[in-house]
Formats: sequence, structure tokens, C-alpha cells
Amino acid sequence: MTGFVLNMPPVAKLTDEQFYQLCQANRDLRFERNETGDLIIMSPTGGETSNRNGRLIQQLFNWSDRDNTGIAFDSSGGFKLPNNADRSPDAAWIPLDKWNALTLEQKQKFLPLCPDFIIELRSPSDSLKTLQDKMQEYMENGTRLGWLINPQDKQVEIYRQDREVEVLNFPNSLSGENVLPRFILNLEFIW
Amino acid sequence: MTAFILNMPPVAKLTDEQFYQLCQANRDLRLEMTAQGELIIMPPTGGETGKRNSDINLDLALWNRQNKLGIVFDSSTGFILPNGAKRSPDAAWIPTDKWDALTSEQKQKFLPLCPDFVIELRSPTDKLKTLQDKMQEYIENGTRLGWLINPQDKQVEIYRQDREVEVLNSPNSLSGENVLPGFILNLELIW
Repeated sequence: MTGFVLNMPPVAKLTDEQFYQLCQANRDLRFERNETGDLIIMSPTGGETSNRNGRLIQQLFNWSDRDNTGIAFDSSGGFKLPNNADRSPDAAWIPLDKWNALTLEQKQKFLPLCPDFIIELRSPSDSLKTLQDKMQEYMENGTRLGWLINPQDKQVEIYRQDREVEVLNFPNSLSGENVLPRFILNLEFIW
Repeated sequence: MTAFILNMPPVAKLTDEQFYQLCQANRDLRLEMTAQGELIIMPPTGGETGKRNSDINLDLALWNRQNKLGIVFDSSTGFILPNGAKRSPDAAWIPTDKWDALTSEQKQKFLPLCPDFVIELRSPTDKLKTLQDKMQEYIENGTRLGWLINPQDKQVEIYRQDREVEVLNSPNSLSGENVLPGFILNLELIW
């Protein structure tokens, strides 16, 4: 995915509402903001990445339907993290109680919370360092389990609270551990 | 990387000052704004285009220094056109009296006028149609002579007030006509 980072000077900083409306007015682009409000503009992904992402989402949603203890989100969902960054992970999940605590208006816009679980899927043009920094940011903001799936290097980095990052080489599957009980992600379709 | 066009929703329209500050905060990007307020974000040019642009600017600047009829601007200069668009042609020229009529503050920011003469140089990723629309906009806003130099097709389109666009195939040189008297741009270096 190619993109630009637009540094936003103080006089042109976007409010949350302006950022939301900007995203709505440009549905063919993907936007994030870092914690200082700079705008990250990304192109749509290529076909291979989109297919891989769909495979991940498919499995996560199937598990979530059976499990019924939370809500899953696809890559178009926006989250306003506690550090003020606005991010769109490739997949995310939150427990039901967090969802139910949101007002109807909050549910309709970018969710003001950090997902308990997220996946970032590296596309051919993504810099690994950028994604690693993003994973670290999720952890600092409260994500309990994060997977950075890196098809180029056939690796997965697993991020957990208060643990070193674990790197798996070419795993067949990943376990949702105690965050997504009994969720097993099959990676056959990804490699 | 090609350009991104951001549709700016009414709640997030940028003022002239905000746009200027945004450009200052992103000196490594080229930003323009359409008359409708859409933000156009372009990457820096590649080496070949930069070299061609530099050759063209040098010739124009040398002619101008000898003839002392006006002021030459390079591709990093912004102009606020009468229709509200904010554009950065690859080269531009205005007569001395227009420059002298500007306040010192106006001279320091994007110039609130339409250049009498502009050059747009097509880079490998530029769409011809986009540049043709831009040339038409310059002419409608008061540019007296405009050259769209298209190395890919070895063509130059010449835009003049109240005349049809003239297309030249692989010309050796271009004349500044009555707008830049005596200026001849040698195109050997460009093709």
C-alpha cells in the first residue's frame, strides 16, 4: 500500500468530526492519524492483500459468531485510541461489554476505544518498521493480543501485554489464547 | 507514486492561511488545491523530470535576467488564482509591474495572482488530461501564454488567449511570442 503522511500544522489540525467527515468524503482512500494528529493517507490495497485479509476476516467472524462474547470489525473500522491516534487495523475484536457501553452515536462513528485484539497484515509495499511501531502503539493503548502477519517473510509477530514480542516462523495456525478462547486461525490460505 | 486527490468536506475546508501552513509543514510534498477546495497531494518528481525542469528554468531565468522585464518563479512557488485554485506551475513568469504592486507580505506567501506565462512539464506519472485541464484553468484565469511540454509523446501544446490550442510535434524550439519577447526555449535538451 502506498501513501503519504501529511504533517498537520497547528492551524490546520482536524477535529475528530472533521477527520470523520474527511474519511466519509473519500471512501476510496484509507486514513489514519498518529498521536500528534498528522494525517496518513493510504491507497486501497492490491488484490492479493485484499484476498488474504478476507480470509483472516472470514475466520475471525465465523469464530466470533459461534463464540458470541464480542464484536469483530473488518479493515474499514476506525478506532480513536486513548493516545488520540486514529487507527484502522486490518481486523479487530472487542468484548460485548465494551460495545454495549457505547452510545448509539459512538457506535456509528469511529469507536473511542482500543480493540482488545487486532491483526495487521503486511502488504508488499508496507514497511515492516512502520507496522511494528503501530503494533507497539496498540499494546501501549491497551490491546491484549496482536498479530502482525508478514507474508513476505513468512513470519508472524505476536504481541502480548508485558511480554516480549514472540516471532514465529511459518506457523500453520495461531491460537487466540485467553483473549479469543478457542479461536484458531488457519494460516494455510495466507502463505 | 501518483497523486492523491482529497475531497475536502465542507466542515474541513482549508482557508488560504491553513493551506499555506500545510504546505510549509510538508516541504517534501507538492500540494495544490482546486477551485472546489479539493486537496491534491503529489510526490516529489523523479530525477529525469527534475533535470528537464531545471534546464527549462535556467533558460527562462537567463532570458529574464538579460531582458529585465519581469520575475521568474520555479516549480516550488504557489499562486492563488482568481477562481480560488492554488497552483504550482513548473515554471512561471509575471511582468515587473505586477510584482511591484504586491505588498511585502503578499510576496512572502503564495502570490494572489495568475502568472502571465506558465510551463507545465509532464512527468511519467502525470495524466495528460489532468495537465490539459490545468492549462485551460490558467488561461481562463488570465495566463497569456502557456506551454504544456510532453516528453512522452514529444509534443508541446501551446495555449493562448482566445485561440485554439496549437499542438506541435517534436519542435526544436519554442518562441515566447509577444509575452516573453525574444525568448526562445531550446528543446533539444528536453527530447
